[in-house]
Amino acid sequence: MSRSAKSPTAPPRPDQAFISVRDLTLRFPVYGYDAKSLKKHLARVAVGGQLDQARHGSTTVTAVTGLDLELRAGDRLGLIGHNGSGKTTLLRALSGAYEPDEGQIEVRGKIAPLLDLSLGIDPTATGLENIRLRGRIAGLSARQVDEKMDEIAAFTGLGPFLAMPLKTYSSGMQARLAFAVATAVDADVLLMDEWIAVGDADFQKIAHKRLLGLVERAGILVLASHDLDLIRLYCNKVMRMDAGVGSEVVSVKALDELLARPSVR
Amino acid sequence: MEITEHMLRTGSRGFRDDLARAVEDLRRSGQGLGLAWSLAWHDVVSRYRGSILGPFWITLSMAVMVLGIGFLYAELQKIPLATTLPFVALGIVFWGLISQTIIEGCESFVQASGMLSQTALPMLTFVWRTVLRNLAALLHHLVIVVAVIVGFGLWRTLNLPLALAGLVLVLVNISWMCLLTAIISARFRDIPQIVMSIMQFSMFMTPVFWQPGARVGMMDAVLTWNPFFHMLDAIRAPLMGLAPEASTFPVLVGMALIGWAVAFGLFTVTRRRIVHYL
Repeated sequence: MSRSAKSPTAPPRPDQAFISVRDLTLRFPVYGYDAKSLKKHLARVAVGGQLDQARHGSTTVTAVTGLDLELRAGDRLGLIGHNGSGKTTLLRALSGAYEPDEGQIEVRGKIAPLLDLSLGIDPTATGLENIRLRGRIAGLSARQVDEKMDEIAAFTGLGPFLAMPLKTYSSGMQARLAFAVATAVDADVLLMDEWIAVGDADFQKIAHKRLLGLVERAGILVLASHDLDLIRLYCNKVMRMDAGVGSEVVSVKALDELLARPSVR
Repeated sequence: MEITEHMLRTGSRGFRDDLARAVEDLRRSGQGLGLAWSLAWHDVVSRYRGSILGPFWITLSMAVMVLGIGFLYAELQKIPLATTLPFVALGIVFWGLISQTIIEGCESFVQASGMLSQTALPMLTFVWRTVLRNLAALLHHLVIVVAVIVGFGLWRTLNLPLALAGLVLVLVNISWMCLLTAIISARFRDIPQIVMSIMQFSMFMTPVFWQPGARVGMMDAVLTWNPFFHMLDAIRAPLMGLAPEASTFPVLVGMALIGWAVAFGLFTVTRRRIVHYL
């Protein structure tokens, strides 16, 4: 396992965002279909049968193994790796949703996870209500939401449609709204799963601008993507993940070299 | 509400460490009660979106049920309507609070899977959301309660402080039940049906509609060992100007202590895993 060179860096200033991950291992149980049924559990105990292990049993998957990562304000890390290599799991761990099984995660700063645009979105509620709800979930107080409401509403460009239920929106409109709210929170640490490309060409342009602004303001960006051009565009560092094992963090200039390796192990 | 400014998470270091983290979750969920209330209120509003009466539809259907069952049981049990109707009305309203909270408790975590799997929001927030949502529904149904209190002159004899104390104890108790069903149904998806059957069975075994007669034999056992009877009795008896059973309040306090210990213990042990169950 490769570890990033631990150069004796000064401790981060207290007002600056940082991420420190040490020897992180994440496992989780994946339950077979029948393992989710209590009745079938009991029936199995009662008959003592050895039926279908795959359906009954719960398998433990190790999604991330012994990962080390140090990020300071100004670091924009691109995560690359095949599907199932643990990128999303790592992002979820950084967001605080998944707790480490081993090791330690330390994050300082406000975290904005943009992993799933539909988080906290209620299709039957109106656009305005959804903005409010989503803002509250993101940690804004009711008053802060009110203050930001005009800005968010203007950014969506949806105008009078905001008073209509979200289910009447086209998917592009829904994405606009979700994107506007998700990016309205001033964050120090931005976690993104795939670059969020939404809406029509016009919207793409302003969304791109907003994201750049957000990335500049945010101390740290961690972006998981398969799109190498995007990584080159937005990131200054890269890490490759391979079956839950992370490579060392290298400069984005060394991306090709990193990709050329047969495996990070 | 506090956004994660500084987060330190480590691998499990034994039960005491897990307990400290569970307590931390409880503390943060207490600070974020405003968020729980926002979510709960949003649930109430969105559930009755587009209907003119809003949550009062449920109040209305409850009122119809109260009248129907009130008249029927007055006839069946040969008890004057003036006693039966308030009894049934209070029974149905507060039974609704108890059973709905426990049944909806099953969905507390499952419904919030999207939020739980990508934010560091405290998990107990979603339990409070369920409890507060049902409390908000109860506020609507208070119309019925006030109507019988005024209509049948119960205000002359009622013991409001005791009834409120009873309500608080009931809320404390249904909260742990809500937490327990939330955790277990996240892991086992057939729990909601089982809980629903249990609550339906309990409704018939509890004097919600029927007046308990003399406490002998089977009847005594049914009342003494039925936690729901004590919960209902603690609120209804004082409102009707009667003294609750001597054992009711001690039972509720004991049940709250033991229940919270068990539910919180389970929460402590499973907390890390719940998000993976979903």
